[in-house]
Amino acid sequence: MTVRANALLTLALIAAILLALLLGSVPLSPGRILSALGLQGNPGDILVIWQIRLPRALAAALVGAALGMSGAALQGLLRNPLAEPGILGVSATAALFATFVLFFGLAGAGPLILPLAAIAGALAATLVVAVAALRTRSAVTLILVGIGLSSFSAALMALLMNLAPNPFTLADMINWTLGTVANRSFADLAYAAPFLAVGVGILLATRRGLAALALGEEAAEGVGLDLRRQRLAVILGAGLATGAAVSLAGAIGFVGIVAPHLVRPFVGYDPARLLVPSALLGALVLVLADIGVRLLPTDSELRLGVVAALIGAPIFVWIAARGRLVE
Amino acid sequence: MSVLEARALTYRAEDRPLVEDASFRLEPGGLTMLIGPNGSGKSTLLRLALGLLAPDAGETLIDGANVRGLSPTARARKAAYLPQTHPLAWPMPVRDVIALGRFAYGAAPGRLSAKDAAAVERAIDACRLAGFEDRAADTLSGGELARVHLARALAAETPLLVADEPVAALDPRYQHEVAQLFAAAAHAGRAVLTVVHDLTLAARYADRLIWMKDGRIIADGSVADTMTAERLAEVFGIEAEVTPNGSRVSLTVAGPAR
Repeated sequence: MTVRANALLTLALIAAILLALLLGSVPLSPGRILSALGLQGNPGDILVIWQIRLPRALAAALVGAALGMSGAALQGLLRNPLAEPGILGVSATAALFATFVLFFGLAGAGPLILPLAAIAGALAATLVVAVAALRTRSAVTLILVGIGLSSFSAALMALLMNLAPNPFTLADMINWTLGTVANRSFADLAYAAPFLAVGVGILLATRRGLAALALGEEAAEGVGLDLRRQRLAVILGAGLATGAAVSLAGAIGFVGIVAPHLVRPFVGYDPARLLVPSALLGALVLVLADIGVRLLPTDSELRLGVVAALIGAPIFVWIAARGRLVE
Repeated sequence: MSVLEARALTYRAEDRPLVEDASFRLEPGGLTMLIGPNGSGKSTLLRLALGLLAPDAGETLIDGANVRGLSPTARARKAAYLPQTHPLAWPMPVRDVIALGRFAYGAAPGRLSAKDAAAVERAIDACRLAGFEDRAADTLSGGELARVHLARALAAETPLLVADEPVAALDPRYQHEVAQLFAAAAHAGRAVLTVVHDLTLAARYADRLIWMKDGRIIADGSVADTMTAERLAEVFGIEAEVTPNGSRVSLTVAGPAR
């Protein structure tokens, strides 16, 4: 079941990425795209594919995968289907830290400064939320802490925007808050990808522990889980993956809640087997959403984060209203 | 060598002793029930005995080794623990929940070695859960869920099984069913230690009773030897009539002691 779900999602993701290569302001035939992918044919085609469309599609896929897996892992750790980097304020805090770096012109100091700042923000927020969650053990408190953290980060972000020295900085900041993968290059990918890969690797290593946590923390300890190490690893993994995703695309919400929720019944509600398909579906959702963003005939291009929220927020409300909250 | 040896365990929270100087040994093949009023330190003592909580004084040996020195996996291979049941976080199928009992052996739901799978099957049989394997945990009754949790603990096939109120909030029929399963697990050679609130259940099934009051063990022995009207009045503050009944006793509770 899980294997088949993963295979199907992988095929769908590849198809979506190919579709993303096919669509754009310059019409290219599939044949021309394939030869451009192999660095053959028209140099203009190669430029369009390798400089614009492929990095953009891959960025959407990487960001979606990181958010999908982080959401699934945080939900497993906190035993709450509403836990998600966006809801918990992790993305907003990461975006805030990144904006802070931009605001003070620190990003010029080196290409790693921005991803590192975003990751530091994500880790700090994940830590705050996890401490609150573990102290209160109440799903409602957890969500409230997340909302508080989101609001606080949003307020500080608004403050930075308020003080923005010029319209260019302001526009930059707005991009971070809204979330977009437009104009990403392979260089941007290369700086974020290692952190993302390490985060994803750590999360995958915590899989079995996430399954044990379904029993509750005490029983999970009883079956032999090292609870401290498990918590730290999930926080670190989710922080790295989410931070890297934010450094690439800004704050994009709801992917981490929608993807695991849709996949869960197909993996027998097993928090361990949930991680990989959640990542694949998260990637698929964002690649498709980004195609939608590019195709919509609006005057100025819609931001990916806006579209993700437009789709994701109603699903969030639906999941919350169905009330399968763990108390 | 005892399966478990608790030596003078003491634990304080904010300078209030929750468990004070508690010592006992568990040998294979006995059902030991830990009884005492609310707040007498029973759950804390279980957690200390398992090494899940660090004692302020004293130590626990499991199979001769200090439990605080064991890795979580090594400990879980010696002692299975059934905490007070909370609802499962996700509606996983019964077989996957029981499979989590094999966690310490490197198993995970859907990833069981032949040995793990055989242990899971034995636990399913022992708890009479055949036919329930694919049911989602959230569709089970309280009694069925209690059996699933027990099966999860049994699947670890440890020499020691420790449970905290495994029959709380169950209907009488299920209470007896689950208590019988615990007795069966003990008579199959395990050392079983469980907290129980229901005194008639304790009188009916325990091989040995450990009585706790205000964090101290105040009596330890067979039902016939330790369950007396005086002790029930002293520990639980109830007036009860205790009449010998074979190797056990029959218990009639009249009401709160005056």
